[in-house]
Amino acid sequence: MSLLSVEAATKRFGGLTALDAVSLEVAPGSITGVMGANGAGKTTLFSLIAGTDRPSGGRITFDGRRVDGLPADRVCRLGIARTFQIVRPFAGMTVLDNVAVAAMYGRRRIRARGPAEVIAWEVLEATGLADRAHQAAGSLTLAGRKRLEVARALATGPRLLLLDEVMAGLTATEVAEALAMIEDLRRRYDLTILVIEHVMRALMRLCDRIVVLHHGRLIAIGTPAEIATHPEVVDAYLGGGS
Amino acid sequence: MKAPLGLAAAVVAAAALPLLGSDYAVGIGLSLAMWVALTQSWVLISGMAGYVSLGHVVFYGTGAYVMVLAWQQYPPWLAVLAGGIAAGVLALAIGWPVLRVRGPSFVILTFGVAELVKYVVVNVEGALGRFGRVLFGGPDLQTLYWAMLGLAVAASVLTYVVRRSRFGGGLIAIREDEDAAEAVGIPAAKLKLAAFALSAVIPGMVGAIMVMRSTYFEPLQVFSPVVSFTIVTMAVIGGSDDAPGPLFGAAFLVVLAETLWSTLPEAYMIAQGALLIAFVLFAPDGIHGRLTARRARSG
Repeated sequence: MSLLSVEAATKRFGGLTALDAVSLEVAPGSITGVMGANGAGKTTLFSLIAGTDRPSGGRITFDGRRVDGLPADRVCRLGIARTFQIVRPFAGMTVLDNVAVAAMYGRRRIRARGPAEVIAWEVLEATGLADRAHQAAGSLTLAGRKRLEVARALATGPRLLLLDEVMAGLTATEVAEALAMIEDLRRRYDLTILVIEHVMRALMRLCDRIVVLHHGRLIAIGTPAEIATHPEVVDAYLGGGS
Repeated sequence: MKAPLGLAAAVVAAAALPLLGSDYAVGIGLSLAMWVALTQSWVLISGMAGYVSLGHVVFYGTGAYVMVLAWQQYPPWLAVLAGGIAAGVLALAIGWPVLRVRGPSFVILTFGVAELVKYVVVNVEGALGRFGRVLFGGPDLQTLYWAMLGLAVAASVLTYVVRRSRFGGGLIAIREDEDAAEAVGIPAAKLKLAAFALSAVIPGMVGAIMVMRSTYFEPLQVFSPVVSFTIVTMAVIGGSDDAPGPLFGAAFLVVLAETLWSTLPEAYMIAQGALLIAFVLFAPDGIHGRLTARRARSG
């Protein structure tokens, strides 16, 4: 059975249809890539799943339970955590506090500060931020902030993790590190992952399956090998070139 | 452990103030305790959650009005409690719609709601044929002072405790980025409403006590926006992130007021305005923020 099931999810902003009847099933433990040009509707899809935005139509089911239209904090407590493409750290708080507060709320809802900090340290180790724990989150580099997005989402104790371009703007070495980190996290925390990425090769290596969005519509879904040779994808997204 | 002991000693010393036998000194003490209680309460919603209320006088005025309505029908202590509860309930009623808007719109709304309530009270009083009410035979100055001191201590402890709690952590996250806070499971709407209601209760009780002190109730005066402005000024000058801030801010402005008021009353208003501007521009985290930063650098 699917952990996440999206059926004909649609989002209109005024006259613009950002997402047009997109359906997909996500198997537990899988990593699914979401590909598409700017404005294809990738982040909108995440926002609908995570409850940041309310769908104009369709239904989203997580672990047998309808989640579309629920507020973001409820969705998070049910076990879906997202990162933001444009990073949104709690800038004035330390890195540790950013992560600890997520552990105190989220699906884990650890009431006491002490145990929440234990989780926070563990997550910071896993994301390679432990040595920057006492630094203000606002003073991190971009790569650091991207990691903090992941750490904060992880600290909530999700079953489904939505990663929105956590590798964008990183150097080749940083991308390689991030890839290793994501694979490690999936095993360690028994996660199901949806990942939006522009870095094509990264996506191909990481994912079990890839869905391709184009102007708000889903145009292809399949294994990385299938996607790489899918005529419509090659035409629309890869531009027939690389 | 030195700080709690020092604070306990300060509270004992403050409680002993009436023994000096100077009504003038007790009057200043009362005023200081009042501003500490008001500003600490304001910090809960505006300092921690970052929702700046420019209408906190509405809770103070509500408490005062409850006292006026209960006057000589119920014991004063009961009316003080009722004033606090009424203010809290009003905050829940206002907060539910108002806390949905963020930023400058929220600031303006709180100001507007306070003005609205003020004129409602003015009109109710007018319809009742009451133009100003006199409250004679209330508790003496010492008793009022001790009650107010109790509220100041309670408000300070409340701010201190909330700041270090899970609840406070959630509020700070909302201040830093509300969407990100919701994305990590923080129920922002619920937490903001709780903080807003909590920030109203003590001001309601403060208003109920202060109207006994002035022995006179006139809605335009009791609901004056100057009270709200002063709270904000004290929080900005002292710092609004934690309990010490309001202590610094209130002490600073009360002392300044007392020194200038008798000699140069118009200079006080100018000085207050100039200080507010200076702090916003050069030390937005206030006296307490500056001190913490200095301690962090040196230690």
